[in-house]
Amino acid sequence: MNPKPSILLVDDESAITDNLAPFLGRSGFSVTVASNGEEALEKLATQPPDLLVLDVLMPRLDGREVLRRLRQAGDWTPLILLTQVGEAGERAMALEEGADDYLNKPFDPHELVARIRAVLRRARPGRPPLSAAARLACGSLILDRTSRRVRLDEVELELTPKSVLLLEYMMTHPDELVSRERLLDVVWGWDYPVGTRAVDTRVAELRRALADDPAKPCYIETIPGQGYRFVGTVEARP
Amino acid sequence: MKTWRWVIALAPALLGSGLALYFFLSFDLRNDHIVYLRADLGTLSLLFGLGLSGLAALVFVLLAWAERTRKRIAESAAEERRRFLRRLDHELKNPLTAIRAGLANLADSPSREAHQEALASVEAQALRLSRLSADLRKLAELEVRLVEHSPVDVPALLREAFGMAQEQAGADERRLNLSIPQAPWPLPNVQGDPDLLVLAIHNLLENALKYSRPGDTLELRAFEDGTDIVIEVADTGPGIPVEEQPHVWEELYRGEAGRGVPGSGLGLALVRAIAERHHGGVSLRSRLGQGTVFTLRLPVG
Repeated sequence: MNPKPSILLVDDESAITDNLAPFLGRSGFSVTVASNGEEALEKLATQPPDLLVLDVLMPRLDGREVLRRLRQAGDWTPLILLTQVGEAGERAMALEEGADDYLNKPFDPHELVARIRAVLRRARPGRPPLSAAARLACGSLILDRTSRRVRLDEVELELTPKSVLLLEYMMTHPDELVSRERLLDVVWGWDYPVGTRAVDTRVAELRRALADDPAKPCYIETIPGQGYRFVGTVEARP
Repeated sequence: MKTWRWVIALAPALLGSGLALYFFLSFDLRNDHIVYLRADLGTLSLLFGLGLSGLAALVFVLLAWAERTRKRIAESAAEERRRFLRRLDHELKNPLTAIRAGLANLADSPSREAHQEALASVEAQALRLSRLSADLRKLAELEVRLVEHSPVDVPALLREAFGMAQEQAGADERRLNLSIPQAPWPLPNVQGDPDLLVLAIHNLLENALKYSRPGDTLELRAFEDGTDIVIEVADTGPGIPVEEQPHVWEELYRGEAGRGVPGSGLGLALVRAIAERHHGGVSLRSRLGQGTVFTLRLPVG
């Protein structure tokens, strides 16, 4: 068992890898760097890392294409995408294509370390992550990610697209403390100073629809002053 | 108005059919009401030629006019772009200069304290640039992304934005009033994205808080006007000079009073973009020394 998780960092901008690699190294990871998609695929074949941090916009072979090829070949190496476009559709696509998580540039490097740790903790070697599943189930709650429909006890719930996006993120990251800022970024692609209230409103809407008691939650638990956590057990359904 | 041109084109046909209907209804068609036109071939050719030339001339005049309008629009777009680039350059210059100075300090770093100070300053400036980039992305995205269309309870929206404003810095030194009409009926819903609308109202309130002075009064109010809901943020602040008023909604614009006030310079541009995505609009009235009213208009849906 290797005590230091290995990370392959892929970005064509050397200013980013030059600064990020030593930072990740000091945070307790052993880091290898690749500067484009092709090089990344080569390094993946020769020395498979525990986790891949992949920039989306790269010359030759972009991050999305690398991700697609890996997943098509049945390679489920945990992967975090670094996106620059905050478009909600783009983010949803990143998750659908089997990225474990994503982060918008410019980001706080500490946030990247937190994401890496969370993904590594959740990863089950060789098996697809929850974020690659077409349907997610938690007891009688079923989220169909392709049709964007949510059913509870066989009854379809009326939810706004943003609430579905929020629930989707919580369910693909179960048992993980997710900050309000992070959720805002997930649903909106950007945060604003007081926007964390908007997250509370959405969570309240979800809880009402799910008939979830905040004092004794089956699904979403409030961590006072920090954020939310999905407490149910989530499994992937075909 | 482009649609009006069709009416112009249709006018002769309408006139002709009107006259035909009139003649048809008012005369029994006896022989003496039939007009026979006689012309020699020369006159006929002349009139036909003149008519065609006149028509062609009219078409050319219209085309030239359209071309000129197009050029004017292109020029003003180019000017807007130049202005935006100048302002962006300006917004980038200051944090970058500060970062370079901070890095120079770090390199010499006479003491540990000076080291810490320089580090903190560089970090603050990097954050400022991150915020600018985030705001620019918001604006760019707002123009293309799908806006949620759900019924939005306006009083709840106002209360939420007002609650946030009360918690902001400087709020306790100003009088904040919220007025929501109840009679004769409560405000109807608007169709839209509640998060974006809260952000718009919040930006207006934040702006009013930033540019007013302690002791000033701020008002958030709303009323129904025809098919619109009008939301106003009014203050008894210093007011905006007339020549600056048309520019305040522009990206990265800063008036005289705005120099040195923190913010990305994109707050009001965001408000305008949000209003436009909801098929609404923004406007302002201001008097120097008396105050300003910012107005957000949203169609009732």
